[in-house]
Amino acid sequence: MSATEPSEDIARVYRFLSQCMQYPDAEWMTEDFFKVFYDLLGTLGGVEEGVSIKKKIDAAQDAIEDLQVEYTRLFINGVPHVVAPPYGSVYMDQSLQGTFAGNTLAFYREKGFGMDEKADLPDHLIHELEFLSLLAEEKDFTGVEDFLKKLFRPWYKKFHPRVTEGAHHPFYRVVVQLIDYFTKEEDEDGFQPNKT
Amino acid sequence: MAFNLTRRKFLQTASLAAASIPLSKVVSASTGVTKSALDATGTAGDKTVVGGICEMCFWRCQLVGKVRDGRLIKLEGNPKSIDNGTAICARGGAGMKLLYDVDRLKYPMKNVGKRGAPKWKRISWKEALDECGSKLKSTVDQYGAHAICVFPHGASAKYPLRYFERVVGTQNVSESSFFQCRGIRDTAYVATINKAPGEKVDMANTKVLFFIGVHLGENIHISHVKQYIQGLQNGAKLIVADPRFSASAAKADIWVQIKPGTDTAYLLGIMNYLVKNDKYNKEFVEDYADGFDEFAEGIKEWTLEKAAKVCDIPAEQIKEVADMLAANAPNVAIHPGRFVSWHGNDFQRQRALACLTGILGAFYVKGGWVPAKMPRVKGVSWAWEDHDHDYDLNYDPEEDEKIYPYSPPGTPTDLIRDCAITGKPYPIKSCVVWGQNLIQTIPNQQKTKDLFKAMDFVMCVDVLPTDVTAWADILLPELSYLERYDQIKRGTQWDFSKEHQQYIAARMPLVAPMFERKDQVYICNEIAKRMGHEDKIPVKTIEELVDKSLASVDLSIKQLRAEDGIHIRPGKDPYVMPEDFEVRLYNEDIEDTGFPGVPTYIAVPDTPKGFARLLFGRTPVHTFNRSQNNVWLHNAMPDNPVWVNDEVAAKIGITDGDTVGFINSEGVESTTTTTVKVTAGIRKDCVYMYHGYGSTNPLMTTGVNAGVDAQSLITILAVDPETGAHGMRNNFVKLIKNGKVLDIPA
Repeated sequence: MSATEPSEDIARVYRFLSQCMQYPDAEWMTEDFFKVFYDLLGTLGGVEEGVSIKKKIDAAQDAIEDLQVEYTRLFINGVPHVVAPPYGSVYMDQSLQGTFAGNTLAFYREKGFGMDEKADLPDHLIHELEFLSLLAEEKDFTGVEDFLKKLFRPWYKKFHPRVTEGAHHPFYRVVVQLIDYFTKEEDEDGFQPNKT
Repeated sequence: MAFNLTRRKFLQTASLAAASIPLSKVVSASTGVTKSALDATGTAGDKTVVGGICEMCFWRCQLVGKVRDGRLIKLEGNPKSIDNGTAICARGGAGMKLLYDVDRLKYPMKNVGKRGAPKWKRISWKEALDECGSKLKSTVDQYGAHAICVFPHGASAKYPLRYFERVVGTQNVSESSFFQCRGIRDTAYVATINKAPGEKVDMANTKVLFFIGVHLGENIHISHVKQYIQGLQNGAKLIVADPRFSASAAKADIWVQIKPGTDTAYLLGIMNYLVKNDKYNKEFVEDYADGFDEFAEGIKEWTLEKAAKVCDIPAEQIKEVADMLAANAPNVAIHPGRFVSWHGNDFQRQRALACLTGILGAFYVKGGWVPAKMPRVKGVSWAWEDHDHDYDLNYDPEEDEKIYPYSPPGTPTDLIRDCAITGKPYPIKSCVVWGQNLIQTIPNQQKTKDLFKAMDFVMCVDVLPTDVTAWADILLPELSYLERYDQIKRGTQWDFSKEHQQYIAARMPLVAPMFERKDQVYICNEIAKRMGHEDKIPVKTIEELVDKSLASVDLSIKQLRAEDGIHIRPGKDPYVMPEDFEVRLYNEDIEDTGFPGVPTYIAVPDTPKGFARLLFGRTPVHTFNRSQNNVWLHNAMPDNPVWVNDEVAAKIGITDGDTVGFINSEGVESTTTTTVKVTAGIRKDCVYMYHGYGSTNPLMTTGVNAGVDAQSLITILAVDPETGAHGMRNNFVKLIKNGKVLDIPA
């Protein structure tokens, strides 16, 4: 990446994190993808985490299938139960498509955005990260902070520990940690990670 | 893990510039959130969507949905309905919690673990359908069509059922709605009056309501309950036979606290008394009944005293019931019941109910059994093809006759299950489960699991990950009733004393589908294509199917929508007796197949010492296991307290609210516990609980381990000899409290 404005960087980071939460598929989960992922971790001082993920992936007979099974269990339907549905309403309304999802969509609209026909529900983690990315591209940092505070953090802070505790694969444990890092309000001393 | 940079510093130092591959190169170009015109709709976009037909149970009330921004926010009865009107029950209102249940199946999944202990992986529809098609085709190629067994249930299962039966050519299809519910009733009435009775009793205009085990109020079907309540408001008397003080028993003029399993003896006692005392409807019997003399001769042993002794009720009470019926005949509503698979002697009881209606002359009269004159709408489905019937498991080649001559449509469940497990008389190798939770509907769960273990391939289609889905190789997510077209609901106004009207409604989606759920026509057609039957597909889409059906009455989806979801037209007088109507009090054909031609009481096994008979039924807020994961309904009734007689409870040292488990007479223990409801309202020799609790599937995050699964304790198989349907109330339990097994005193 060439020298860029911080706003462009954070926009790209949100998009990248959104990509990390897509259903694993060999089409996008390429060598290049992992290289970027490990680089990002390295930049942040997370080399050890990168190594643990790489080891797990390199040791797998079918790394993508392992991640697919893990994704399904964590976010779609799993045993003993779906660990962490990635929808805000589940945590705020105990249901899909609750009022919270409606409020999220309303926020998108107020900012001049809407949902594509093929999109998932508006309060899906992927779309919320996409939205943050789009706001950052427009340099609407007030909007970013407002969205994070009102509609992202309230549920994400409940979602995050579920994944941290329930994940069998280090990839998702690290991804949700990254998302937490890039969305959590910092105090004067900087980011204080959740203990894992 | 701790990152050693602050986010601010990370961004300020443009650290990303160091990356060798730009982030933007590894993300997809498109996003789900897109730029659009500014639009703050608020509530201005709220709308009422018509065309909903409920399926929280199978009464199918007509609905409207209140929708905001594509989200369903409330369900209500359709104000245009002449059936349920604006009313819906608790289950109907809670349908939106099914729609938005986070545990619902969202994508096709493949089990890369084991059957019963699955590891699910989301796959594409193409991969899922390819696998289903190729595995099923391979089964047919290698073993024949009969090597596929199918367990369908509900409106969405009709289309695939017909495909597998008519085109693929397997007879090994078994529906729980027939073989574990109402099939016996239908074939017994067909053998008596040549018509399946439904619940077509004119309760709103009757003088006496006569129930055996029917517990309206706990079983809520809106228009049916309206008829019932209207009848009571008009002053009708109510006679309820039930071992338990049910919601109906609580309203009864006469509560007959009958010994379970002896209902046929009770009916024979009533009928014999009416005949012996010339209190039956002679005119009707002369005009419409066949075999009265054989009938009278066949039941003559059933004196009031004998019936009273068998049923453990006072003889005087049976006489009181019979006199009340005779005094008000023919305007009496002898209710045929709905769930009737009780004790393995049920065909004879249902025959007896039809015969009692006959000797009272209570067919096609005000307040009697009266079938509404329904509009006729042509069904559209797969065409019948000729298939040989050499593989009919319900046929005994040595005797050259049916094993269960009065079987409902399909094949009795146990014939299929036993064949699948043993491989005799032939192998069954693939299983298709469509909307039926076999684990919680068919007695003896171990045998059902053994069936799955014996399969080469198992596919399930459902809306939720019910217990049975854990046994699938491929699991396909289906659209719920609120997201799809299908069922065409026909009917009339519920009160026959009012202007005669007919209505036609079609199920239409109230909201757009979410995720990758598909409807039954899509799924079935795609499988059919892969099995080489593309040229036989009758319709391309579910909308086409509905439109073609509606065209037979000059309607269309568009027209129905314009008419607020329901088409209403003038009706016809239902009280007209068909010229060829006949009541076969004695049925020679039944006798020819080796069974009693006159209704006959067959004794059920006595309760073993130390045990109580396990009875089960419905709660008004659940439809068995179909609704157990619904958050609202779960909160309304989170478990299923077991009813225990107060004197029994005192003797064994349990009190109201205690937590107990169960062990049955075959040594099977419940895996969960429930609370105790101590009451004088149940006999000492039985206990009672609501059915459809205690799912063992952890995917059902609300329903799992909530209460006790009565089905898990039903391991003794009673099979009705005429029909092959299951009887499920011949199991016996003891309670377990704090690890101690408690004997039930005699």
